Amino acid sequence: MNPRTGSPAASASELHVLARRSELGVARKYAEDVAEAFGLDQDSCYEFVYAVNEAVTNAIRHGASAEEDMIHMSIVAEADRLTFAVRDRGTFVMPEVDGVETAAGGGRGLALMASLVDEVDLHIDPGGTTVRLSKARPSALETAQAQAG
Amino acid sequence: MRTFYIADDVHVEDAGPEVTILVVGGEVDFEVSPQLKARIMRAIKGGARRLILDLSDVTFIDSTAIGVLAGTVERLDESGGGALSVVCTHEKVIQIFEITGLDSVITVHASREDALAAVAAAGQR
Repeated sequence: MNPRTGSPAASASELHVLARRSELGVARKYAEDVAEAFGLDQDSCYEFVYAVNEAVTNAIRHGASAEEDMIHMSIVAEADRLTFAVRDRGTFVMPEVDGVETAAGGGRGLALMASLVDEVDLHIDPGGTTVRLSKARPSALETAQAQAG
Repeated sequence: MRTFYIADDVHVEDAGPEVTILVVGGEVDFEVSPQLKARIMRAIKGGARRLILDLSDVTFIDSTAIGVLAGTVERLDESGGGALSVVCTHEKVIQIFEITGLDSVITVHASREDALAAVAAAGQR
């Protein structure tokens, strides 16, 4: 079942990694493989993987107290969309988003995620934070329009 | 996955003592952005004021690396003026510059030759 909609999912997968920077490449490869199998075009695939990297980076930076903590990822493929979720045990701190002036860069990751996927959902509870990112599959009509020029 | 690297300073005849070119390639993420920052800071402490980052071989640059580049611009400003130029033709990487607004504080060139010509022209003004 899809945890977001409660509807039967076409397919779902999970990946659990240690909260270490060196695992970011593993997370990107996981997202890329699933997105390609789902059928996202090259641009959409890049954008999905980019947003996943930002969400996992955020989980490693703020959601783990030690490198032995785990980061839990899942991807659910439905007919019309691909949804990634990452859960950590940290408390999400909403960064201020005000462009490049914030050299510390706190808000950039969230702004990038919001720009590159169709939906960003943040769920905060006492046990941790879950970030969900959804990328819609281009409709058959959009695909036809794109091919027509 | 493209492996991250930073090449040694590229020496260009007559480019001037304050011009430094760093060549970066691969995927620049939270794991490696501290290396990028350290290398850039070393160049600035060594006297570089007109810094050219050749990102022609970079295929991915995350928000932490964007933060390093934005911080470099601030650092050059604080140290009495300077400029950061970037060489990049990767469409998606340029899109990231645009989304973050980084393209408003750095100059993006299509080739290293273009970047050097712009630096030389700025030096003559």
